[in-house]
Amino acid sequence: MEYNPTIVSFLCNWCSYTGADLAGTSRMKYASNIRVIRVMCSGRIDPTFVLKAFTEGADGVLLCGCHPGDCHYHEGNYKCLRRFHLLQKYLDQMGVDKKRIRLEWISASEGKEFAELANEFSETIKKLGKSNIKEEMKVEDKKSPESAVHRPARMGLQSTVES
Amino acid sequence: MEKTRIGVYVCWCGTNIAMMVDVEAVAKEMESRQNVVLARTYKYMCSDPGQDMVIRDIKEHKLNRVVIAACSPRIHENTFRKALENAGLNPYMLQMANIREQNSWVHSDRIEATRKAKSLVAGAVSRVNHHQPLNKREVPVNPASLIIGGGISGITAALELADAGKRVYLVEKESELGGIAAMLDLTSPHFYSISDSLKTLIRRIEVHQNIKVYMDSQVKQINGYVGNFNGEIKIGNKKVKNIDFGNIVVATGLKPIKPETIENYGYGVFSEVITSLDFEQVLKKGSVLNAYGIKPKNVAIIHCVGSRNEDYKPYCSRTCCMTALKYANMIRSALPEANVYQMYADMRAYGKHCEELYADTSGKNVLFLMYDQREGMPIIEKDAIGPGVLIKFNERLSGEDIEVPAELVILMTAMESGKDAKSISQMTGTSLDANGFFIEKHPKLDPVSTTTDGVYVVGSCQSPKNIPESVSQARAATANILATIAKGYVEVEVITAEVNEDICCGCQFCIQVCPYGANNYDQRKAVSSVNEALCKGCGTCGSACPSGAISTRHFTDKQILSQIEGIMAEVGSG
Repeated sequence: MEYNPTIVSFLCNWCSYTGADLAGTSRMKYASNIRVIRVMCSGRIDPTFVLKAFTEGADGVLLCGCHPGDCHYHEGNYKCLRRFHLLQKYLDQMGVDKKRIRLEWISASEGKEFAELANEFSETIKKLGKSNIKEEMKVEDKKSPESAVHRPARMGLQSTVES
Repeated sequence: MEKTRIGVYVCWCGTNIAMMVDVEAVAKEMESRQNVVLARTYKYMCSDPGQDMVIRDIKEHKLNRVVIAACSPRIHENTFRKALENAGLNPYMLQMANIREQNSWVHSDRIEATRKAKSLVAGAVSRVNHHQPLNKREVPVNPASLIIGGGISGITAALELADAGKRVYLVEKESELGGIAAMLDLTSPHFYSISDSLKTLIRRIEVHQNIKVYMDSQVKQINGYVGNFNGEIKIGNKKVKNIDFGNIVVATGLKPIKPETIENYGYGVFSEVITSLDFEQVLKKGSVLNAYGIKPKNVAIIHCVGSRNEDYKPYCSRTCCMTALKYANMIRSALPEANVYQMYADMRAYGKHCEELYADTSGKNVLFLMYDQREGMPIIEKDAIGPGVLIKFNERLSGEDIEVPAELVILMTAMESGKDAKSISQMTGTSLDANGFFIEKHPKLDPVSTTTDGVYVVGSCQSPKNIPESVSQARAATANILATIAKGYVEVEVITAEVNEDICCGCQFCIQVCPYGANNYDQRKAVSSVNEALCKGCGTCGSACPSGAISTRHFTDKQILSQIEGIMAEVGSG
């Protein structure tokens, strides 16, 4: 059976999340493996969130913000773009295929574009197959329990379950 | 510390959600999650009984956190926040999971949609564990308002506010007030003279002590937030004026498309072919003549020029059908002997007294000919024999290819959004739809507000509208504005950044990234601080902070990371 990946998506409240809502009100059908997390601005998308999604087992991460010039907060999307390029490089060096993370601009009126993007990205991730980051981290943790203790704190990836 | 007690509610939304998502299974799955005290489903959570159930449970079961899985939080988050408040709980102890717009409406496999719903709700449950109570901030409202656009909508809004004793700044880019309405001779369906009514209104604006009009002017910049905006207005070519205001009414209207782009109509090639606004000028002169000064024997009115056509404008321009019927009546009385042709794709005569005008016009020897908007738009050519042009098309009702001679052709051109819509939307933080018109907050229940508090969109800048619709919208917006002014204060964003001074290393990255200059450096303490009045809560400083000292309230690292954990956790299938 074809592998059904899980994709975590971060959408800005003003443009992209509204665009995704529009896809809904227009009853456009798209891949059901996308899980959306709403943030106020794509500038809020901390690289840690993306790393966290991968370490929790996401096979792909999709970031969306307002088109250049349309950011509700003037320029949060530009900041997201800069961080995105760095993050892609970082992931690449860590051995994660950089195609597993994608940044696109979706406006509040682009429901159709969002649905198409979700389908397209889902196909890309299906081709790449399952991400093994979660498993590899478990193995690493067993090999070197010491780094396992320190790593999460360093990366800001400590479990948030009742601390 | 008080023990966390979460109530989870899964909405059916009638069949909207329940048809595609097994809501009972979602609720059952949540029962076993940490800190979840109860999980219920209900037909319509947003209804009074639905909200009452939440309020009752909060009191009876001592819930201190609530998750509602229903429609988009952009629709009902405020509704449920109010319900929490009514139950004595801080409104921010709520988290919604969007299982309608971003689930049941966009997926077609019930098992997959249910699995996704479980994940989304699990994410919300995980996140709500870390929610903190937040207290709303109240700020005073500046009673002055800025109105952008001096058409019939802007004029109405200005007078309503000014008559209520409030200061109004009216900015118009042209050198005259009145907009498109000022270009019209008579209105339809009643044939009133709009220019007479407009003149009275404009005269009142000019002498009104509460209204300051800026002609030939443009808004260049808008800063601030609801109740406390300030803006820069460029008057003419040089002078820049700064003004303060509490609310904004966007009434930038629309403009006709350039019919030259639709080549088959020959606009600009044949002088016989004019647009509807050209014809209004002809009518204003008092006689029906073509460009050669000749009384036409055959007049053709072509509908939907650029409207309702995927190649040009996919939407209906709303006012053209009635205007075309008005023309038929004007021409019939000016030229009793002339042949009058209505070439239409579909007649749309809805609204008060409109169908009546259609029926009445049909009885006045006006010939209605139907063409196919997609397959067979009329083609206009020079008439080789007669004095004017020939209009060729396949008449749909008879199925015959016909040629109609005409010495005057009126194109009912489509209307498109104003040229400055884009820049105004960027300045006001509002959005435009795919056709370039402003998006209202809710198409049915909040048709003049926008997602930016204090910014209203009225009249044809939203979509083509007739005069009564524009006037109603302008009045609706002013009623909203006057209500906030009467209250004296507005509640503003509580989602702002805060600095943990114990962790802040004083690197000042947050100051560099803040688009509002809300972050400052405290020299004495050697840490950053946030000016909450300026902060809009975008959270970009939180992402930039290397030491994790800045957090964005309600979107903290912990809240979002836990939401990721929840979403990615295993869920039962089916």
